[in-house]
Amino acid sequence: MSQISTTSSHSAASHGVQADHATSMHVDSRKLGVWAFIGSEVMFFAALITVYLVYKPRNLAAGGPDPKEVLGIGVTSALAAILLASSVTMVLALAAARRGDRRQFTIWMLSTAGLGLCFLGGQAYEFTELIVGEGITMPTSLFGQTFFILTGFHGTHVAIGVIWLLATFFKVRAYPKSRENVMDIELAGLYWHFVDLVWVGIFTIIYLMPDFAPEAALVLFRHAGG
Amino acid sequence: MAEKHSNGHAEHTPRFYLLVGAVLAVITVAEVLVTFIGLPQIVLLALLLIMMVVKGAAVVMFFMHLRGDANIFKFLFIAPLLMATTMLLAFQALFSGHVGIGG
Repeated sequence: MSQISTTSSHSAASHGVQADHATSMHVDSRKLGVWAFIGSEVMFFAALITVYLVYKPRNLAAGGPDPKEVLGIGVTSALAAILLASSVTMVLALAAARRGDRRQFTIWMLSTAGLGLCFLGGQAYEFTELIVGEGITMPTSLFGQTFFILTGFHGTHVAIGVIWLLATFFKVRAYPKSRENVMDIELAGLYWHFVDLVWVGIFTIIYLMPDFAPEAALVLFRHAGG
Repeated sequence: MAEKHSNGHAEHTPRFYLLVGAVLAVITVAEVLVTFIGLPQIVLLALLLIMMVVKGAAVVMFFMHLRGDANIFKFLFIAPLLMATTMLLAFQALFSGHVGIGG
């Protein structure tokens, strides 16, 4: 038993994995868990996007708001740029932590959290415009339900990401270079980059291609109506 | 430009990350601009999808360091992604021309 344990620890160490968190696959168990979580989140957001796309024609048929008339890409383009910039600052924070550069780490990590807060502010502005300006709420239309659930869940993930980033920052700021702390930063970063990745998909599919298969939908509305 | 890190994946320089970020910003601007050109629907769709995939791949490979990382991590991300994409396309093929599942 002790021989197995020793062999495992040695093998884990040779792969740069802390023995406390090593798995039989010689990877960090926490990182394995975060990647598995991200995999499940991929399915989660794909389901929400699918529901939005499937119900879009029905929303139009029922006289709901047309996404291409109510969704502006001005604010959301800025939001895309903000999240993209936050991914860059996040990866720079991780690189600074690995170098042991506490000053750079602090700047980039807090910049990432700040950009996340800017994104949330922009999303709050967009939601206010839709709810107050256009009168679109979840009970009023299928578009309202599917859109707010999809983008609302993404915004919730951003909010959780900001909390995770700040919690990680205050935990590791004294000595970010230790292997344990670098892994903490890397895990928070993985989640943050995934949040950015989801917005890459939402921005393109929901905001930039609002006419997804409009002709087929129009023809079938006529059949449904007749 | 990149050095092998102790946990197996390549660690790039800050300059490389800034370069990737700049490329992604340019692609994002291009994504927005092509929607104003008035391209045929199918061409616009293809362009937007290609740019979305390129952006997503860059984030996953370089920012999430999946490129060069352990294969089990690649499996944990790519397998659900393929399943999710298949599900999205299948539902689109089955229901996008209808007036929704309930209709």
